[in-house]
Amino acid sequence: MMKQDHTLRTLRGLMLAINLALVLYYSLLRGVTMLRITYGFTARDFLTQAGLVPAPPWQMTLLSLGLFVPLAALILGKAHLPPDRPALRAALFGAEILLATLETASLDFYYRGFFLMVLADLVYTVQDRRGRAGIIAVLTGLYALADYNIAATLFPSVPLQVYLSYYTEAIRSWFSGVESLLTSLHVLLFVVFLVLLFLGQKEENTRVHQLNEQLQESYRQLQDYADKTEHMAELRERNRLAREIHDTLGHTLTGIIMTTDASLVLMDTAPQQAKQQLQLANQTAREGLNDVRRSINALRPDALEHRKFAEALEDTVEKFCLTTAAKVDYAQYCGEMDFAPDEEEAIYRVLQESLTNAVRHGKARHIQVRLDRAGEELVIMVKDDGVGMAPGQPEGFGLRHMRERLELLHGSLEYGNRPAGEGPGFILTARLRPRQKGEESI
Amino acid sequence: MRRRTAAVLGSAVVLAAAAACMLWPRGGIVLHLGVFAGSYWGTPNGSSYQVLDDAIAQFEADHPGVTVTYESGIPVDEYSEWLAGHLLVGEEPDVFFVLPEDFGLLAETGALAPLDSMLDSADGPERSLYYDACLQAGQYDGRQLALPYESAATVMFVNRTLLEAYDIPMPKNDWTWQDLYNICQTIADAQPDIADRDYGIYGYTWQNALYANGGMLFSADGRQCNLSDARTMAAIQFTQQLNSLNHGYTVTAQDFDTGHVAFRPFLFSEYRAYQPYPWRVKKYSSFVWDCLRMPAGPDGSNTSELHTVQVGVSARSRHAELARELLCTLCADTTTQSALFLQSQGISPLRSVTENTDLLNRIFAETQGSSTFNSAAIGEIMYTAAAVPQFAAREQATAMAETAVNNALLSSASLATALPTAQREIDLYLQNAG
Repeated sequence: MMKQDHTLRTLRGLMLAINLALVLYYSLLRGVTMLRITYGFTARDFLTQAGLVPAPPWQMTLLSLGLFVPLAALILGKAHLPPDRPALRAALFGAEILLATLETASLDFYYRGFFLMVLADLVYTVQDRRGRAGIIAVLTGLYALADYNIAATLFPSVPLQVYLSYYTEAIRSWFSGVESLLTSLHVLLFVVFLVLLFLGQKEENTRVHQLNEQLQESYRQLQDYADKTEHMAELRERNRLAREIHDTLGHTLTGIIMTTDASLVLMDTAPQQAKQQLQLANQTAREGLNDVRRSINALRPDALEHRKFAEALEDTVEKFCLTTAAKVDYAQYCGEMDFAPDEEEAIYRVLQESLTNAVRHGKARHIQVRLDRAGEELVIMVKDDGVGMAPGQPEGFGLRHMRERLELLHGSLEYGNRPAGEGPGFILTARLRPRQKGEESI
Repeated sequence: MRRRTAAVLGSAVVLAAAAACMLWPRGGIVLHLGVFAGSYWGTPNGSSYQVLDDAIAQFEADHPGVTVTYESGIPVDEYSEWLAGHLLVGEEPDVFFVLPEDFGLLAETGALAPLDSMLDSADGPERSLYYDACLQAGQYDGRQLALPYESAATVMFVNRTLLEAYDIPMPKNDWTWQDLYNICQTIADAQPDIADRDYGIYGYTWQNALYANGGMLFSADGRQCNLSDARTMAAIQFTQQLNSLNHGYTVTAQDFDTGHVAFRPFLFSEYRAYQPYPWRVKKYSSFVWDCLRMPAGPDGSNTSELHTVQVGVSARSRHAELARELLCTLCADTTTQSALFLQSQGISPLRSVTENTDLLNRIFAETQGSSTFNSAAIGEIMYTAAAVPQFAAREQATAMAETAVNNALLSSASLATALPTAQREIDLYLQNAG
């Protein structure tokens, strides 16, 4: 790629050099011929043939060289242009096109290759597809209009042939030879430049395509790895859970069993010691509970882990609606939902469980959920329009679990069928007294 | 240290200022004037720059700080090339003289600045100051590009000695082709078949006849040739008739100079140059001569071609305003024009000058006594004279027309068939050239 850039820049430099040579050729040919005519005393004949008084001999040389310098500076200095200033770049590209037009006009439209040079240069510089199309359209349009026969109707000038007619046939053909050599060489360079530029671009496109395919393949592999990693993480987690249960619950329970066994034995003979043993059991149980809490903390559900609690609740309701046919009206009047982690988990589980029960057991279609504060108490009320519970039905595992959770936090749970006046359905009310900040958890 | 820097800087500023004062162009504006030496009319003119120098002195007095310079000693026949060369290198004078044959080229190539805004403005000279034909000479494409400086019309020289010898009365100024033909026939009929014959007329061209027959060879815009026009045809036929009186003999200038020809068209300037003493002695001294207006054709009047030397302002002049004022000093100022009228051999394009009785009396006081050509005739010539349209391709087109007419006259083909063909060719040439 770098090598190709170097070739293109060399070609552009050559085009610039040929254009400079042509500027000198046209302007000096004109100037010198005018002086020869004047000092050869054929000025009147020349004027008759020319049909207009041309600008003084050196004007074209000075003007065209004077314009060529900034044009060349713009072409060569573009490498130093800041790429993050599109307005400045566009203005300088416009200036380059304008300078090419003025340069062509300053040479009385004898030559219009500057447009080709600027076209090659700008197509090389501008990568944007629409920008390129615009530049090509403008420059080819200008190139077409700058044809001597068209331009001379708007800007009358003395045709080059009139100057050349001063010379003999042999010298004339020499001049035309030099001219067509230079112009043909310039066109050739222009074509080679464009061919190289577009070939290079095609290679680049192919390369990008290949890279893209490789990337896709890598992505697939990465996905596989991710799946495997997830599976392994699951296994690791299970192992950890097992270990955790073994280390905390197993240990504690064993300790409790041992101390209660001891107290049973000691109860009659040494009631004081039995009491001590029972106290020890009690302390062990409390420590065990703390250990369990710590474990649970480490195992908290995802939803509570990453999001704010209020959002997590809403999210859960929303997901529930999406996965079941039931419609849930969720209303929350608690103000700021700032609870301790174990309280958050209890509330979350109550909500999750009661929603699941309403659909699974109650076949409810419409569920109302309301979170409210009554004094220092938080009240969770879940009401559905399902079948309710049969009379005398024992409390299920889910409800019991809920009650236990709440009771651990000094809360309560009430449930039952809705009053007869309200139609069928189940109503559940959970009460909880959240701890103040800084209050020790049990 | 600081004081030294200040001293160096200070002396640098002083030096730069001094250099600027030395090199800066001092004095006021310099206007360049392009002018040829001698008289355009080919007549002797000993003090050709006198009028010009006086006019320049007046202009410089009116415009302090402005200097007018000119290159002296450029002969008339080199002036066109001199001017063209200066135009080509971009060093043409701000104000320059325009020869009649150059006006078309200079106008077409855009070398002359239009003067209409000056003529239309309240301060500028009125168009009515000039004879129409003189002003027309400087018009191109509807614009006034030059102002007339000096004019001369074609008049007919008459060898009065010869007419008296044949007992022919001097024709009047309003004579016609028929009168001319009759006189020439009388002279031709009276010739014995020996040497030393006398002839009616020399140098009268079909173009002289054409102007007197109310025609012009080219349209005003120079795009069309009127070669096969009825008036042109009549003019050619008339000159052919006159020539046939010579029975194949070609009359020469020498025949006229030695007093053997009755008529010869000439520029009026020639009349003014050789009529007064001492020049009269130098030329045409063997006979008494006078001049008349050109004879009128059946469709025209006693019109003749008017030649006008003009002055124009360069379209590239950097002092256009001053240049126009200098132009007015030369072409619209009665003092300059009166001096020129007295000193040169042309006719002033300013009506007030040419019709000034005092001036005319001073001019004609020098001429031979009993001339039929008087001040009234000059005015009439100027009012009726025709400004021939000038354009760059005129020279070549005229040559083509002359060749075509000569060929038609030499060959047996009738003019009615030969001339339309030639006209088409010339029209084509004019359209391509334009």
